[in-house]
Amino acid sequence: MTSAESTAGIGSYILFSVAATTYALPSGEVRHMEMLEEITRVPNAPSFVDGVVFSRGQVVPVVNLRARFGFERAPFDLKTRLVVVQAGTRLIGLVADSAREFVSIPPEAIQPPNDALAGMSGRYVDGIATVRDRLILILNLDRILNFDEAQTVGLAV
Amino acid sequence: MTQTGSPQDDTTFPDFLDDYFAECDEHLTGVRRLLLSLEGSVGRPEINRAVLDELFRHFHSLKGISGMVELRQAEDLAHRLEDFLRVLRQGGAILTAEGIDALFDGTQMLEQVISVRRSGGTFPKVRDVASRIAQLVDTGGGTSAARESAGNVEETAPPSTTPLWICTFSPSADLVARGIRVDTVRGRLTGAGEIVNAVPRVSADGSIAFDFQLSAHLDEATIAAWREDGIDVTRAPEETRPSIPGPADRDEGETTSTGAVSSSQFVRVDLARLDELMRNVGDLVIGRARLADTLSRVESRMPSGEWRAIQENAIVMDRQLRTLREGIMRVRLVPVGEIFRRMPFVVRDLARETGKRVRLELRGQTTEIDKFLIERMMDPILHLVRNAVSHGIETVEERIAAGKRPEGTIVLSAATAGDIVSLDISDDGRGIDAEAVIERARKVGLPIPAGSTDSATLLSLLCAPGFSTRDESDRASGRGVGMSVVQSAVEELSGALRLETEKGTGTRFVLELPVTLAITDALIAKAGPETFAVPQGAVREVIEVAVETLLQVEENEIMTYRGAALPIVRLSRLFGLPETTRSRLHLFVVGTGSSAMGIAVDRIVGQREVVVRAIADPLVRVAGISGATDLGDGHVVLILDPAVLARQMRERPDRTIGGARGALA
Repeated sequence: MTSAESTAGIGSYILFSVAATTYALPSGEVRHMEMLEEITRVPNAPSFVDGVVFSRGQVVPVVNLRARFGFERAPFDLKTRLVVVQAGTRLIGLVADSAREFVSIPPEAIQPPNDALAGMSGRYVDGIATVRDRLILILNLDRILNFDEAQTVGLAV
Repeated sequence: MTQTGSPQDDTTFPDFLDDYFAECDEHLTGVRRLLLSLEGSVGRPEINRAVLDELFRHFHSLKGISGMVELRQAEDLAHRLEDFLRVLRQGGAILTAEGIDALFDGTQMLEQVISVRRSGGTFPKVRDVASRIAQLVDTGGGTSAARESAGNVEETAPPSTTPLWICTFSPSADLVARGIRVDTVRGRLTGAGEIVNAVPRVSADGSIAFDFQLSAHLDEATIAAWREDGIDVTRAPEETRPSIPGPADRDEGETTSTGAVSSSQFVRVDLARLDELMRNVGDLVIGRARLADTLSRVESRMPSGEWRAIQENAIVMDRQLRTLREGIMRVRLVPVGEIFRRMPFVVRDLARETGKRVRLELRGQTTEIDKFLIERMMDPILHLVRNAVSHGIETVEERIAAGKRPEGTIVLSAATAGDIVSLDISDDGRGIDAEAVIERARKVGLPIPAGSTDSATLLSLLCAPGFSTRDESDRASGRGVGMSVVQSAVEELSGALRLETEKGTGTRFVLELPVTLAITDALIAKAGPETFAVPQGAVREVIEVAVETLLQVEENEIMTYRGAALPIVRLSRLFGLPETTRSRLHLFVVGTGSSAMGIAVDRIVGQREVVVRAIADPLVRVAGISGATDLGDGHVVLILDPAVLARQMRERPDRTIGGARGALA
C-alpha cells in the first residue's frame, strides 16, 4: 500500500518546495515544521544528511532534500524550513526551501508518476496531482529515508 | 475514520504482540526455574505439589495467550505439556527421567516456536516432541505409578467462587485516541482479576474484537466505567469455566483480596514512558546549569546578601534534582537475576549434549542494573556461558587425568562498585591456550602483535572479526557469532571487557558496564570548529603534549609515554574536520597495555555532567559516536565513544573511520 492510498480517505497534504518544484507529503506523516538553527555535522554520515538537531528534546537527523534529490545545496535563509516527519518510530527532519500550506487533494486528482519523471526526485515520487493548474509531486517518505546498501558501507559499528 | 479495526491494523496488533512476547518471556522464565527444581524429584515418590501447580499454571497461561495470537503450534505444545502436568499432579505419580526430558524438550520447542514468531524464520517441527508428550500422557508414562482417575481432572481443581465474566473489547480510532488499546485494557483487566482465556474475533464487518474471560469480583461501578471505555462486560455462563488449579492451600474468600493487593503493588511501566520522564529531568538539569551560569555572571552586580540567598536556593534545588534523578533511575533498575535465571537451563542442556559434568554457581543475583542493559547483555552472557561449557570445561576423563574434580564449576556473579556493574563469568576448566590462539589468528590472517601475549592481546585476537570461522563454530558455543559480537555489545553500552586466563586452571571474563546510561560526567573538547563530549569513565588519563614531540611514523603519529610507544590519532583527521595549527594538543589516553591509544583534540575546555540522548536513527548512527547532549544552548554536541574509536583505528590505522567518505561524495 503506498502512502497516497493509505491516506486517500483523508486527502490532506502539506506542500513545500525544493529547487522550484512543489512537493507534498500526507499531513499525517508531518509532525511539525520549524525554522532551522545551527545543525551539528555528523562525521561520516551519508552525504545527503546535514547532521542532527534537537527538536522538542529529541535528536533528529536532518536530511537535505536538495542533496537527496541530486540538486546543489542552497544556503539557508529565512524561508528555509525543517519539516519534521514521522516514519514509524523514526523522527526525521527534511530541509525544504520553503514550506507553504495545507491542501486537500482528492484521490481522483492523483495520477501515477510517468516515465518523464525518471530523473532527479522521480524515484521518490508516488504520484502527481494537479491542483488549480499547479503541478504537485507526492513523495514517498520511506524511499527518501531508506538508503541503499552501497551507502551504508563503513557506517556499521 | 474507518482505518482502525481491520486485522492488519498497525496501531493495535503489533503492540498487542509485544505484550504477548513479554508475557511469554515471563512464563518461560518461570517454567525454566521450576523445571530445574523439579529435576531433583526424578524417581522420588514425593513431587513438590506447589511446583507442579505453578508449572501447570504457566503452561495453561501460555496456551491461552498463544491461542489468542493464533500461534497454534505454541498453543498445541503448551496444551500437551499442561496435560502431562495434569497427570503428574494426580497423587502417587513418580516422575521418570524420560518424563523430565520430555518436559525440558517440550519447553525448549515451545520457546523456539515463540521465538520464530517473534523474529521470523522457519517453524521447527513440533510434531515429534508433541506426540512424545502425548504418549506419556496416554500411557501415564513418565510417571511410574498408574493413576486411578484418568480424565477425572476437574475434581482435582479446588472449587472457586470467583465469578467469571466475558469482557469484549473492540478497538476503535476514538478509543486509541483516548489512549485505550488492547494492552491497556489487558492491563486493566489483569489489575482486577485473572484473565483465564482470551480470543481475538473478526466480526462480520471485518473489524477485530477481543473476548477476554476474566475471573474477578466486579462491582457495578467498575463495569459501568469499563463500558465507558468500550469494554463490554457480561457474566459468563457457568459451563465455560475452564479448570484452573488454584494454589494448593487456597483459602476461600481471602485469596482474591490478597491476590488483588499483590497485583496492585506493582505497575508495569512502558520503558518509553520512563525515558520521557528521564528526558524531562534532563531538561531540568540543563536549566539548572543555565541558572548557575547566570548566577555567576550577576554576582558582581548584586548585593552580596541577596545573591547569597539565591545561590543557596539554587544549591538546594541542585540536591533535590539529584535525588529526583536518582529516584527515576532506580525505577529503571531490575535485578540481574533476570539474565542469570536462564543460565542453569542452558548449562544443563549443553552439559547433557557434550557429556560433561558442570555445576553452575550464581552469585549476586539481586544486583541491580538498568533494564535497557539487561536486554542487551542477555546474548553476550549466554555466549560466554556456552563458551565456558563447550570450550572451557574439560570432559570428565580429562579432568580426572589432570587431577581435578570430575565436575567442572562455572561461577556467574554480579557486583556493583560505584556506578559500575561488573558481570563475571569464570570457569575452572582448561584455560585459553595462548599459542593455539596465535596459531589460529595467523591462519586466518590476523595481524599479530610481536612479543607479548598478555591477556589483553589474547582478548583482542579472540574478539577480532573473523577469528571464529563458520566451520568450527559448533551450535553450542555461539552459532558463528563469536566473541566479536560480545565485545561490540559491551562497547556499545560504554562498557569494557576483560580476560584473565591461566592454562590448566581456568578462564575468567569480566564485563564492566555503567549501572545506567542516562547521565554521565564528561570532558568537553574542541577539535577544529566542533565541540565534542567524552565520557570521563572511558578516559584513563588526559595529557597535554607539544606537537613537536610527536614522532611521525609512516601515516601515524606516536609519542613516548611512560616508557612505551603510544599511538596517537587526531580526532580532526579521523572526522575530516578542518585543522587548526596549534603548538600544543590535549590527548585522551584510552585502553591499557598494548591496546592503549591517545586521541588528540585541540583542547579540553571543561568538565561537566551531561545528559545522554540516544542517537538511534540509522541515518546518523556512526561508529565512534555514542550519543548526543545539550550543553545548555540548545545545540547538539556529539558524545564520543573512545573505546570504539580506538578499536577502529587499531583495525585500520591508515584510514578515516567511515572509510566510505569517498564513496559517498
